[in-house]
Amino acid sequence: MNAWRLSSRLLLRQGRSGALWMLVVGLGVAAAALTAVTLFTDRVGRALERQAGEVLAADLRISSRARPADALAEQAEALGLSTARLLELDTVVYSDTESALFEIKGVGGGYPLRGRLQIADAPGDADRPADGLPGPGEAWIEPRGLRALAVDPGQPIWVGERELVVTRLLTYEPDRGEGPFALAPRLILPLPDLLEAGLLGPGSRARHRLLVAGPADALTDYEQAVRPILDDRTRLTTIRDAENQTSEALDQARRFLAVAALTAVVLAAVAVLLAALRFAEAQRDLVAVLKAFGARGAVIQRAMLLMLFGLVLCAAALGALGGGIGQHLIAEILAGNLQEPLPPVSLAPLPGLAAFTLLLAVGFALPPLAALRHVPPMRILNRSLDQRPRAGALGWLLAVGVALLLPVLQLGQPKLALYVLGGSAVLALALALTAWGAVRITRLLGHRVRGTYRFGLAGLGRRQAMSIVQTTALGLGLMSLLLLMVVRTELIDQWRASLPDDTPDHFMVNIQPDQADALREDLAALGVDGLQVRPMANANLVELTGEDPPENAFTGQVNLSWIDELPPANVIERGRFWSPGATGEISLANRWAERVGVGLGDRLTFDAGGRTFSGEVTSLREVDWGSFNVNFFILVTPEAAGDLPHQYVASFRAPPDRLEALDRIARDRPNVTLLDVGALVDRVFQIIDQVSRAAQVVFAFTLVAGLVVLLAALEATRDQRRSEAALLRTLGAPRRMVRGGLLVEYGVMAVIAAGLAVAGAAMVGGLLAGELFGFDYRPGAGLFVLGFTVSVVLIVGAGWLGNRDVLKTPPVRILRAR
Amino acid sequence: MGFHVDAPGGRLDILHDINLALMPGETLAIIGASGSGKTTLLGLLAGLELPTAGSIQLDGAPLEDLDEDGRAELRRKRVGFVFQSFHLMPSLTARENVMLALEIAGVHAPREPAEAALREVGLDHRLDHYPRQLSGGEQQRVAIARAFAPGPVLLFADEPTGNLDRRTGDQVADLLFRIHRDHGTSLVLVTHDPALAQRCDRTAVITDGRLEMQAEAADPA
Repeated sequence: MNAWRLSSRLLLRQGRSGALWMLVVGLGVAAAALTAVTLFTDRVGRALERQAGEVLAADLRISSRARPADALAEQAEALGLSTARLLELDTVVYSDTESALFEIKGVGGGYPLRGRLQIADAPGDADRPADGLPGPGEAWIEPRGLRALAVDPGQPIWVGERELVVTRLLTYEPDRGEGPFALAPRLILPLPDLLEAGLLGPGSRARHRLLVAGPADALTDYEQAVRPILDDRTRLTTIRDAENQTSEALDQARRFLAVAALTAVVLAAVAVLLAALRFAEAQRDLVAVLKAFGARGAVIQRAMLLMLFGLVLCAAALGALGGGIGQHLIAEILAGNLQEPLPPVSLAPLPGLAAFTLLLAVGFALPPLAALRHVPPMRILNRSLDQRPRAGALGWLLAVGVALLLPVLQLGQPKLALYVLGGSAVLALALALTAWGAVRITRLLGHRVRGTYRFGLAGLGRRQAMSIVQTTALGLGLMSLLLLMVVRTELIDQWRASLPDDTPDHFMVNIQPDQADALREDLAALGVDGLQVRPMANANLVELTGEDPPENAFTGQVNLSWIDELPPANVIERGRFWSPGATGEISLANRWAERVGVGLGDRLTFDAGGRTFSGEVTSLREVDWGSFNVNFFILVTPEAAGDLPHQYVASFRAPPDRLEALDRIARDRPNVTLLDVGALVDRVFQIIDQVSRAAQVVFAFTLVAGLVVLLAALEATRDQRRSEAALLRTLGAPRRMVRGGLLVEYGVMAVIAAGLAVAGAAMVGGLLAGELFGFDYRPGAGLFVLGFTVSVVLIVGAGWLGNRDVLKTPPVRILRAR
Repeated sequence: MGFHVDAPGGRLDILHDINLALMPGETLAIIGASGSGKTTLLGLLAGLELPTAGSIQLDGAPLEDLDEDGRAELRRKRVGFVFQSFHLMPSLTARENVMLALEIAGVHAPREPAEAALREVGLDHRLDHYPRQLSGGEQQRVAIARAFAPGPVLLFADEPTGNLDRRTGDQVADLLFRIHRDHGTSLVLVTHDPALAQRCDRTAVITDGRLEMQAEAADPA
C-alpha cells in the first residue's frame, strides 16, 4: 500500500473526527499565540531598528547637566565635523485655559544632523519632512500636546516667560528618547527662545547636548581626542551605545509578551498530546486490519507522518490568521502610546512559525501516532494481545524538549523562557495537586449523595486523571486572565485608597531662595494641605572618609537638603537624628548608604560650584518613597544653607476647586515648574492599563488553549461517556438524570477551576501588593464574581456543547457494545 | 412485528413477522447465528428500540404508544438487564452500582436492599470493592444483583455467560435461574450456548430474521 494514498484516505475518512480537529486547533492556538507576539515584536523591532541609525539625530552626542564647553564644538568643527546644540528639560506649558507637563527641546541651527523631523499643518493632515526648524517665537508640538493645552495651530502658548505661537504639529523626531512609551507630550522651539524663558536657575534639571556628525575617520579621531578630557558628569554616546539601548527596550517588550505566549504554548501542547493519544487509540483497529492484510509498519508510519504534515499545514494557516488578528489587536491597543507608527506586518517570521508548529506536532503528536506501527495484527483476533510498547522516556523527552526549544529561540529569551517554563511547571504542579485533592474530596462526597449527584461526582472520579488535567489547564488560563483583568485594577484602586487623604498631589520645583517665603505665603493663603518647602542643593560627593568616593549611579551629582528635625515619612534605623542647633552632621537613607558603602561615623564632603560642606554620618533612615513627600537620600545640618547654592522644592495637596488659582501662582513665577503628580500617576497607570490589555490579548490565547484541553479531554472520553449514558438509559434513568449528572460533573469542575484561579490570582495579587506597593491586598467581590461566572459559563457551556451527542446516545447502543 | 432499517444501499429487513408471547414466570432462550437479529429482538422487546411494523406490549402496555422517556420509565419499573460485558460503573463500588439502579427505580433508602441483593448473589464480603477488584464472575454477579434488586417482572440477559469460562459461566447461569425461580421473574436470554438454552422453558431460533419456536420445556433447575 502507498503511504500517500493511505494518509489521504485517513485524512478524508477521519476528517470529521473530533480528535483530529482538536489536534489542529491545539496546534493552531499555540502557533497563533506565538505568531501574535512574534509579529508584533518584529514590527516594534523594525521600528526601533529604523530609528537606531538616527536615534541620536547625530553620529555622536555629548550630554551634560552643564553646557558643554565651546571648545568641544570647536574641536569637532576643526576636524570637519558638523555640530548642533540642544537643550532639553521637562516643564509645564500654559495656554489661555490649560496647562500640561511637556518634554521641551530647544534646538540650535543644523539640528538634526541625522534623520529628519516630520511635521503636519493641522491635526489629521498627512505629515511631511520638515525643511527647517521653528522660527523665533514659534513652537512645534505633538498632536496630543495640542489636545492637552486645548489649542489649535496659530494660537499662543507660554513656556516659562516666553510666549510662542504653535505653527506646526510635530509627528516625528529622530532622537525622541529611549523606551517605547512617553509620559509627556513633546515640544520643540528655537534654542535662544528656551534660554530666554527663565527656566534655567541653579539646580535646574535641564540636559544640554552637543550633537556631532561627519566622516567615520574624523569621528573616531574626535572621540579619541575628547573622551579622556570629559569629566564624569559628561556622557559621550555613540550610535553603538544607542543601538544597545534600543535592543534593551525591545527585549523588555519581548520578555513581557513571551511570558504570556509561552503559557499558551504549554497548555496547547497538552491539548495536542491528548488529542493525538485519542486519535491514535481510535486507529489501532484499522492499523491491525491493515497489517493483517500485509501493510508494512514502515508504510503506516510514513502515512501517519504525511497525515500529520497535512494537519500541520492547516494548523499553521489557522495560527497565522489568529496570530495576525492578535498582533493587530495588540498594536491597536498600544497605538496611543507608541512613539511612532509601526511598520506594516512582515511575513518573514512566518516560515519560522510554521517550523514551530511542525516541531510541536513532532514533539507532542508524532510519538503516539508513530507508535501505531507496532500494533500487532493479532489484535484483530484478540485485543488482549495488543501490548502497547512502553514509550521510551528519552524519546519523549527529546521530542518535547525540541518542541519547546523553538518558541524559546523564536522569542529569543532562553533564560526567561526557562524561568517561565519552570515557573509554569511549578504553578501547574501546585494547581494539579490542589485539583487532585479537590477531586478526591468530591469522590468521597460522592459516596454520601444520591442519584444524579452520585453519578455526576463519580464522573469526575472515574476520569480522575483527565479531570485533573482539565481543571489545571483551565485554572491556569483563568488565573492569567483574572490577574490582568481584575486583580490589576483592584490593586491600583486599593493602592490609591491606601494613600492618606493629605498625600501631596503637586510638586513645585526650581523655586529660587528669594521666592520661597512669598510662595509659602501664597500657597498657605490658597489653603493647600501638608505644605512642605524644602531647600535642595545639587552637589558632588568629592570625599569619603579621606578617600575618593566609589564611582556608581548613586555618586557623582547628588541632591541634598538640610533640616533641623526628622521629616515625615522617615524613620531612624541606626544612630540618632540631630538636635536643633547641631552642626556638621549627616543623615543618610539606607538605600543610598548601602549602594555607596557608607556607614555611621564616616565623613562625607560635598562640593557645589567650589563651595563645600563636610560632616559625619550620625544616622541612617528608612524612607517611605511612596508617601509622595519631598524626600532626600542625604540630609545635612542646617548650617549648610550658608555654604551651598540651592533652590527650594515644595510639595502639597491642592484643594480641587483652587487649581486655577494655583496655576496663576505658578505663572507669576515663570522659572518655577508646577508638577501635577496626580496627572503623572494617572498617565503611568494609563500606560500600565494599556500594556495589560495588550497582554490580555495574548493571555486570551492561554484561556483558549485551556478550553482546547477541556474539549480534547472531552473528546478522549467521549466513548466512555456515551456508554455510561446508554447504560443509565437502559436501566430506565430519565434523560434529566443523565443531563443532571453531566451538569454536576462540569459544574463541580468549574467550581474547582474557578477556586484555583481565584485563589491563585489573589495570592499573586497579594505578593505584588506586598512586594511592590507595600500594602495588604484584599481581593474584591469582582474577582470572585467574574472568576466564577467566566468559569461556569466557559466550562459548563463547553462541557454541555461537547456532550450534546452523548445525551442523544440511544440506549440500544449498550447491547452492541462488547 | 418486524424491523427494518433504511441503509444507504436500500432497505434492510432485519426481523420479519415475529409473533411471540411470554407468560409471567416463563423463561425463553433466543438463539441464532451471528447477525441473525437476536440482539435487535432483545432491544425491541425491552423497548430500547421500536418495531417498524406491528406492535409490542410489555406487561399490557403497547410500547409504540410511549415516547422514549415513557419507555425508560417502564424499564425502570418492570425490566432488569444483564449484559455480556457486565457494564458496571468502574468508579462505583459493588454496593453503589446496585444502589444506582435502585435510585433510578425510585427507591428512597437503597442501601439496605442493595446489600440484601448482593448478599443473595453471595457477595456480601465484596460490598465496597470496585469492579476492577472483582473477578469476571463476581462482576457478573454484581450485574445480576443490580438487575433484580429493583424487583423487575422481566429480566433480559444478553449472552450472560459469554465472557466467562465454562465453570464460572455455569455458576452464573445457576444464579440467574435460581433468582428467576425465587422471585418469579420472567427471563429472556440471548445465548449461543445450547446447554444454557436447554434450561429455558422455550427456545426461539432466529434464522434470517424469522422466528421459529423450537423446543418445549426442560427442567430449569
